[in-house]
Amino acid sequence: MLEVEGGSKRFGDVAALDGCTFSAKPGRLTGFLGPNGAGKTTAMRAVFGLVELDAGIVRWRGVPIGAAQRARFGYMPEERGLYPRMKVRDQLIYLGRLCGRSSRDVRGLVDSWLERLGLADRKNAHLDDLSHGNQQRVQLIAALVNEPDLLVLDEPFSGLDPIAMGTMSELLAEVAAAGASVLFSSHQLDLVEDLCEDVVIIDHGRIALAGDLDELRTAVPHRFVDVHYRGAAVDWSALPSVELVESKDGEARLRVDRDADLAAVVAIARHTPDIISFTYQPPRLSELFRQAVAA
Amino acid sequence: MNGVRQGWLVAVREMRERSRSRGFRAGLALMLLVVVGMIVVPTMIDTGARAKDVGLTGAIPDELTRAISDQGEAVGTTVRMHRYDDVAAGEEAVREEDVDVLVVDAQRLEWRGKADDELRAVVTAGIQLVAVQERAAAAGIDPDDLLALVAPVPVDSVELGSVAGRNPDDELAAIAMTALLLVAIATYGNLVLTGVVEEKSSRVVEVLLARMPARSLLTGKVAGIGLLGFAQFAVTALAALVAITVVDSVDIPAVSGGVLAWVVVWFVLGYALYAMAYGALGSLASRTEDAQSVAGPVLYVLIGGYWASLVAVSSDPDSGWSQLLSLFPATAPLAMPGRLALGVAAWWEPVLAVVLAGLALVGLVVFAGRVYTGAILRTGPKVRLRDSWQRTTAPRLDTSEPGAPHLGSSPQAPVGKLGRRTTITRTSATSGRTIVILFLAVGLGAAVAVLGNDVVIGLAVGAAFFAVATRITKAWPDSSDRHMSHP
Repeated sequence: MLEVEGGSKRFGDVAALDGCTFSAKPGRLTGFLGPNGAGKTTAMRAVFGLVELDAGIVRWRGVPIGAAQRARFGYMPEERGLYPRMKVRDQLIYLGRLCGRSSRDVRGLVDSWLERLGLADRKNAHLDDLSHGNQQRVQLIAALVNEPDLLVLDEPFSGLDPIAMGTMSELLAEVAAAGASVLFSSHQLDLVEDLCEDVVIIDHGRIALAGDLDELRTAVPHRFVDVHYRGAAVDWSALPSVELVESKDGEARLRVDRDADLAAVVAIARHTPDIISFTYQPPRLSELFRQAVAA
Repeated sequence: MNGVRQGWLVAVREMRERSRSRGFRAGLALMLLVVVGMIVVPTMIDTGARAKDVGLTGAIPDELTRAISDQGEAVGTTVRMHRYDDVAAGEEAVREEDVDVLVVDAQRLEWRGKADDELRAVVTAGIQLVAVQERAAAAGIDPDDLLALVAPVPVDSVELGSVAGRNPDDELAAIAMTALLLVAIATYGNLVLTGVVEEKSSRVVEVLLARMPARSLLTGKVAGIGLLGFAQFAVTALAALVAITVVDSVDIPAVSGGVLAWVVVWFVLGYALYAMAYGALGSLASRTEDAQSVAGPVLYVLIGGYWASLVAVSSDPDSGWSQLLSLFPATAPLAMPGRLALGVAAWWEPVLAVVLAGLALVGLVVFAGRVYTGAILRTGPKVRLRDSWQRTTAPRLDTSEPGAPHLGSSPQAPVGKLGRRTTITRTSATSGRTIVILFLAVGLGAAVAVLGNDVVIGLAVGAAFFAVATRITKAWPDSSDRHMSHP
């Protein structure tokens, strides 16, 4: 497990991290969320010693992180970049060997990843001769080339097309399923909601919300009912213990108490003449996020 | 995985990738061509000029051919003889340049144009000798007695040089070696500089530093490029040696093996010192365009040190200044080899200089590692040295644009937004400065010319000062450069 405890870092007058505490558990995907400038990149860099914290500590399996631990980490920085004029396979092997893996080990890993991501025939091409998408794939392999126990990715989905996003999601889920801790930052909240078991929301260098996503959602004391219907506008004020959040023609969002009798929910359905769709659910991640960041 | 092994991997990568590049190979081929050419071509021209052809016609005394050959041999000239039946045929041969000179009746020399003084002396001496022998025989003197009488007295010719106890060959060797060291240090140091900036601008450095300490990365890079440069020099030197052996040129500089070993030591130390400084300062620049200006100070120290060493050592290698320069770590690589070649350094001096340089190197590795760590992840305008020292490495926080991350080699795109610089008008200030520098340069050059009693060195020092000083003032950081990529 990765633990950041009380991490603080100032750049001049700005506190990039301000007593920030969170963790990433093995076998799980952790989404690291926050507005721009919230401190995500600084926190990730601190894990790799790229930023020296003013205060606080970063631990891996209970031990302060040093070179030995980092050899088992994988990192994809926000600013993508490898050697442009070096052959793809050569530089992946080089990066793997820097983590202390034997050259034979690394070769096998690199070849299987290149095969898997459809780059086997481009392995002797220079990086800058590859397409943008393929360069992104190589960058991903660079983070995976030492079979990391902890994988940290800064905005791995930005700039990807929908198909590449799907592949990336599958791959991250697979790495986590194999037992690694995976922490990645993203602005795509729906995607994070689908993919991640845990989320960490950071704002102004402080953790605004963190934990198991399902628990966080269910812990909110209300539920939303979204109704989509045909016909004339419905007057919701007639219903007891139901609060109208917003409504426009044919669509309405209603809030009910978490502990409210299910009858209230059923009453909504009964009250609506011609239903197209009807959902009852806790707040979505995007709502949690807005609330956490606005607070 | 320790830092040393990682550093070695970095060094191996540098050597492999660089030696594979077309530019490196072309450069090496060109260097070999130039060096071998410089050795072979002059000797080819020389051997053509060394053998002379002499035509003979009319009445020719029996002994003349041998006498001319002997005279030629005495001054190291091979003389080939050609006989012509009549003067017209001989003159035709002179005009056709088949022979250099035509000897008519052992009395007249005919040339195509201006007489070759050396050849004339050789031929004339041969004629004189034969004539004297003939007259002696006529006067009844035994030819052998005569030969004993006129046997040439060996006369040696010695080049004194400017300082007693040293020959000009040593001086030449000292100057040549120092120049070679300067070129080597500047060339390979510059490779370190551009290598560091490329790693920073292509952003690969963040991936690397997540895996290894900055000190290992920088040291490995310096070591790799240094080894490669050393190999390049060794190959070139070997080729030069082979070329010299093949063409049998006798002009091998008179440098002893001990001095050569010291040159290698000083190449290693000098290169390591300057390359570390280059690498540290290179981390301050985000774009390759900024690399040269950011590393300017290193170049100024290097060139300034070179000139100071050259002037001090060539005017008086025993002076206090020469001694000081040859012990001070920044100038020792440029001053000590020269003093060693001239044989004026006491045994303990190079030892002390090496120890001092080694200590300086250790300090520099620590310093460079810290500057590098502090600056390498900061992009945008040039980072100031002081800021890098404070280790406030901030990530860029303005990358909210969709699709902003750009993999590979496009440093300009993301940097451009931050790298915008407000340029202040400073033309008038600059021209005023230039005039001041010009006066200073003229004064300095004149002073050196008078003191050193050498106008050429005075001119060179003045010009070098002007060049360096104008560059320094141009690269002077102005206050508009001071914003950084802080949030």
